[in-house]
Amino acid sequence: MVKSTFISIGLHVFFILVAYYGLPSFKIKEPIEQPIDIVEDTPISTKTALKQGNMKDKDIKKIKKKIIKEDKVKKITPPPLPSKKIIEKKNIELIKKQKLKEIAELVKKKPKYKINKNKNVSSPQVKAKPEKIKQKQKTFLAKGILKTLTKPKPLKIEDKVNKLQKNNKDVLDKLRQIVGNSNKRVVKKEVKLSQTEYDKIKNYIGKCWDTSIGASEVKLIIPLKISANMDGSINSVEIVDSSLYAKDTFYRATADSARRAVLDCSPLPLPKNKATLFKSFFFDFDPSFIYRY
Amino acid sequence: MKKNLKFLAIKVLTLIFLLFTNQVLAKDLRIKISSGQVEPLPVAIADFTGQEGKANEIGRLIAEVISNNLVGSGQFKAVESAAFIAPPTSPSVRPNFTDWSPLGIKALITGSVKRIDDQQVEVEFRLWDVVAETDLIGLRLSVNSKAWRRVAHIISDEIFERLSGDSGYFDTRIVYVAESGPQNKRLKRLAIMDQDGENHQYLTDGSFLVLTPRFSPTTQEITYLAYFKNEPRVYIFNLETGQQELLGSFPGMTFAPRFSPSGDKIIMSLATKGITDIYTMNLNNQKVTRLTNNSSIDTSPSFSPDGKRVIFNSDRGGSQQIYIMDSKGNNVKRISFGKGRYATPVWAPKGQLIAFTKMLKKKFYIGVMSPDGSNERLLAEGYLVEGPTWAPNGRVLMYFKQDAPVDNGKSSSVNLYKIDITGFRETRIITPSDGSDPAWSPLLAN
Repeated sequence: MVKSTFISIGLHVFFILVAYYGLPSFKIKEPIEQPIDIVEDTPISTKTALKQGNMKDKDIKKIKKKIIKEDKVKKITPPPLPSKKIIEKKNIELIKKQKLKEIAELVKKKPKYKINKNKNVSSPQVKAKPEKIKQKQKTFLAKGILKTLTKPKPLKIEDKVNKLQKNNKDVLDKLRQIVGNSNKRVVKKEVKLSQTEYDKIKNYIGKCWDTSIGASEVKLIIPLKISANMDGSINSVEIVDSSLYAKDTFYRATADSARRAVLDCSPLPLPKNKATLFKSFFFDFDPSFIYRY
Repeated sequence: MKKNLKFLAIKVLTLIFLLFTNQVLAKDLRIKISSGQVEPLPVAIADFTGQEGKANEIGRLIAEVISNNLVGSGQFKAVESAAFIAPPTSPSVRPNFTDWSPLGIKALITGSVKRIDDQQVEVEFRLWDVVAETDLIGLRLSVNSKAWRRVAHIISDEIFERLSGDSGYFDTRIVYVAESGPQNKRLKRLAIMDQDGENHQYLTDGSFLVLTPRFSPTTQEITYLAYFKNEPRVYIFNLETGQQELLGSFPGMTFAPRFSPSGDKIIMSLATKGITDIYTMNLNNQKVTRLTNNSSIDTSPSFSPDGKRVIFNSDRGGSQQIYIMDSKGNNVKRISFGKGRYATPVWAPKGQLIAFTKMLKKKFYIGVMSPDGSNERLLAEGYLVEGPTWAPNGRVLMYFKQDAPVDNGKSSSVNLYKIDITGFRETRIITPSDGSDPAWSPLLAN
């Protein structure tokens, strides 16, 4: 037992060292699972559209006040049609290219990046990175378009952005399918009985355990290896310490009574979705309660 | 692209690592069951089957004795045979457990009796675990048909041990003092019987008074006190030959004899000039050793099962209390400190407890305590309860009990009782006449 524990510890240390020093990128603290979780909280597109518009309006108004006070009337009055169309087209193309680049980068890099960038455009968190917004706004301003162009454009672009985001999601989903959802695996490993569930089974078996006063001579815990079916019915019961069972009459009689308790109590009240825990498990029968008698 | 591959590789390696650690560190769920009950186990004892009338009758009687033994122990509950769905089967046939489990039966006993000749019968039995659907033990015995009762006791012991873990006590005998006649002319005789009161026999004719019989560990001899020609002396009675032998010749009165665990010594009290001390006598070389030397009354000595210590009662401290010392009479130490007086301490066969008689406020009690005097528990009480003796497995005590005199001043009858050490199930042993001073034999099969 002790030997196997040391072997286990040694192997763990070995693997951790190999992983740590053998994989340089391992040192970079890049949470792998995090993006997957965030991507699942999908409805980013609608929010981004709304907030993006608001943000731009506010910022544009401020810039107007500071830089182009005189052109207030001009802003309201629409510019000549042919020039507008040309500029619009150019701007749309520029924005499209920028967005596509951003999306492409997102796909190439990490999902986290994508979301951050999207958020730069839309969510309140963008405020944490105001420089990028300012730069974008400056580029818009420099090209003299602003106002009229900004409002209609985001809707069209964002539809496409959403589509691209969906595509990204698909790509990530596929990646997840290929690699396997590590998050889910971790969750499976951590499936444990709650104290209530534990106590429920414990008390259920305890009520079935009728033993004799001779059990007071047993100073050990009696482990029984159990295999239960999904419905809680008992598949097999094995008295683990067969050598003690063969030579100690008290142990044998008490272990038999424990086995009867398990079989009598079948099916067990297994908690839902945790039946896998009971494919192979142990009941440790402690006869020390007998001293109350 | 390279970055993607890198992260993919990390993911794959992480997965392998996690899977590996999962396999290595995989710990099965463990649930500790730390509560339960001590309830009588429901058992079905089917009549042992026979090929003809006589064998059938013996089979029925054997089943009845087994049932009485097991139920009498308080650890089993026999299901009425009228409730049986299936008829009794031969022990060689695996029963249909679904016929028995609906009755709540946990263990089933089947057996058969086969006549070999006019005198010999072959008795076979098998014990089945109805819940686990498996056989637990089986035995075949060839005996004289007249010894069917003994066979039933042996089978009872086997079943008892297999289901409780404890050795049985059914194949044992009780020697006691059978009393009859008026109080002023009481006839006291040595008598012996099976532990269930059957096969009763008188060993002495009542021409002299007998007291405190005790079994030898070999079961072939009894030591007791007899007032022969009005002189109290310790005697040894050989059960095989029926011969009685005076144990030594002492200047005073000897009483309260008891064998040592090895059976080669007798420990007893000797009273001379108003002083009572404890002595041992080696049965092989007749050597007498004095263990106590005190002006008080030291009596009722009893060896520990390993023979290294002796308990006794003494009034050296002012009142009658229990003391302990080593087998050479050194390191005397008082162990009873409760209210009242303590007497007749007897060490349990396994050494874990000491039984005693306690007198407190005009009442008598039978109790047990640890050898250090702790954990005192009183099991039985009455106007007069006295003289506890242990069953060989140390789970049951026998003693005698007398109720208060009736209105006209006439003494009540004296009877033998047994009780398990949990203090439940006090049962009277039926004897032909009044009985006192019981002594339980070791297992006869040993």
